[in-house]
Amino acid sequence: MMYRFLTHEELASLVAELVASGTRVIAPVRAKDDASQIDYLPIRKLEDAAFGVRLPRRSLKEFFLPPTEVLLYYKQTKDGVEIREVPTEAPPQVILGATSCDVAALEVVDKVMGWGYRDELWFGRREATTIVTLLCSMMDSTCFCTAVGLGPDSARASDLYLVPVEGGYLAQVLTPKGEALLEGRGAAASEALQASAEAARSEARKKVEVNLPTIPAEFSGWLSQNFDNPFWKTLALRCHGCGACAALCPTCHCFDMVDEHDSAESGARRRNWDSCQTSKFTVHSSGHNPRQSQSERFRQRMQHKFSIYPSRFGEILCTGCGRCSRICPGGMDLPEVLGKLLALAGNKPEGSAQ
Amino acid sequence: MKELQELARKLLNEGTVKVVIGYEEGPRGVRAAFITDPTQSEKLVFDKRCVQNLVAYLNPRRKHLIQLGKAAIVVKGCDARSVAGLIREKQIERGNVVVIAMRCGGVLENPANESELTCETVSVRCANCDVREPKLYDYILGVLPPEPPVNPARAEQIAALKLMTSAERWQFWTEQLSRCIRCHACREACPMCFCVQCTADKTQPQWIDPSSTPRANRAWQTMRTLHQAGRCVDCLECERACPEHIPLGLLARYVADAVEQRFAYKSCDDPSVPAPLGVYRTDDDEEFIR
Repeated sequence: MMYRFLTHEELASLVAELVASGTRVIAPVRAKDDASQIDYLPIRKLEDAAFGVRLPRRSLKEFFLPPTEVLLYYKQTKDGVEIREVPTEAPPQVILGATSCDVAALEVVDKVMGWGYRDELWFGRREATTIVTLLCSMMDSTCFCTAVGLGPDSARASDLYLVPVEGGYLAQVLTPKGEALLEGRGAAASEALQASAEAARSEARKKVEVNLPTIPAEFSGWLSQNFDNPFWKTLALRCHGCGACAALCPTCHCFDMVDEHDSAESGARRRNWDSCQTSKFTVHSSGHNPRQSQSERFRQRMQHKFSIYPSRFGEILCTGCGRCSRICPGGMDLPEVLGKLLALAGNKPEGSAQ
Repeated sequence: MKELQELARKLLNEGTVKVVIGYEEGPRGVRAAFITDPTQSEKLVFDKRCVQNLVAYLNPRRKHLIQLGKAAIVVKGCDARSVAGLIREKQIERGNVVVIAMRCGGVLENPANESELTCETVSVRCANCDVREPKLYDYILGVLPPEPPVNPARAEQIAALKLMTSAERWQFWTEQLSRCIRCHACREACPMCFCVQCTADKTQPQWIDPSSTPRANRAWQTMRTLHQAGRCVDCLECERACPEHIPLGLLARYVADAVEQRFAYKSCDDPSVPAPLGVYRTDDDEEFIR
């Protein structure tokens, strides 16, 4: 793999130039309300960023699929209804120092966003964004990115991939967008330095690999064959159905659309994040709900991520970031549940999940 | 701990209950346990990490738990007030739940924390606790530990809010609630949110816009807070569930203080004491009607 050595100063000047030219640069920074936490937020200079502290509280999802967004405005006139659509081109933005799990999620979700109907708002933002991923050093016992075919060293969906080294970063250029971003910055890295970057990436992988074994391809089929297995009744007893997991999930992408009036004649059609963990998600207008209890809703979450999505798009709808387990007020734990299911499927012992 | 495990085993063995809802060691700290097999009773633990209010699991909306049958539940004194709340509001019958109360010396803010109880680590809800030994129980276990240290954070936030002008408070809450994504996790995790259909979910008419806009967020949280007035037990499950880390407990606490001032009522573990907004009295103070 070829790397270029980028000094800290070169990266700082790159950020400064981007900001000066009006490009939004988003990076992990100390949360405004809690200095021990990290959020992805726009920065003005490289020093604003806080790399390597801990996984940001929320993923990158909101920069591509905001919790609420307007799809169109409508107005009733004498001659009918006037529709004003929103622009689908987005201003250029750069994401700097994101983790592999958050970046890869975007490409995973691309599949459904381009399935049949192309979601122009999503792809408008995707195309306007250049993504610089940073080797993750923040893994804990909740992370399992390596189990879902990724890893802290994964450059998937990245335009540039950075490995921190003394005095700066080794940059792996992955796309023309990444090349354009660097604008010739960085010198060829020595072979020894390149080898150290490769070693750091493989070390990082090992730290996550101990948490959960790789989920085998057969797991998807096994899950769909076990849709009616009684074990689903006991897996989610402590689940409140609050959906905080889905809100923080980098790959949960379901949304609901509503028309909201701002006057008697006009209003907006908006789409809002939704979650299959709430009862309202499936309730029919008759009042009947095919998913009667949390057992069925949790089964849906697992089936969609690890069976339905893989069988339709060839990949797991989860990047192993572990945010669902960290936020859960009831102590539901996805690596633990996966460990149990893998044990039932006869793939790996249950104990290896913990 | 042994005492608790033995009691759970006995209740399950003699068939008094079908499930004991308590705490167990989880992959990330202590969490809820649902013991249906008496031989599994030794999983039960109780210590300073048991911050979660388990009473939400008695809420009648939880059909997957109701199917398990009659429950015994492990509560701290503060949580016993939620049991009283559900009985008071006819959501559960007193005879249909076995309350196992634990004498409590305070809990940590974070159930995965292993540190000692200090002013910083102790839950803000433990400050000035007067229910460390509850009155509502079938069994009460343990020896009363010493009082926990006081985390002054919440009292300081309340004091700061009270010093603000109403315009400043409006600004403060507008900023906080601008983060709300209307996922309603606060509602789902709340032991006292048991409406079959929440007004926020009604679509004909749509009382509150479902989108996350300043107007709708304010309407949603105002409605929820006012509906909780005199009912909220300050367990902070809403705040623990909020993926946007909005200090929802602060909002509830502010209203609880107003209720206490106006109606001389504090949430308590006696289900026979009516909640102020759940009772009609001709001598109610009406000076606010002008």
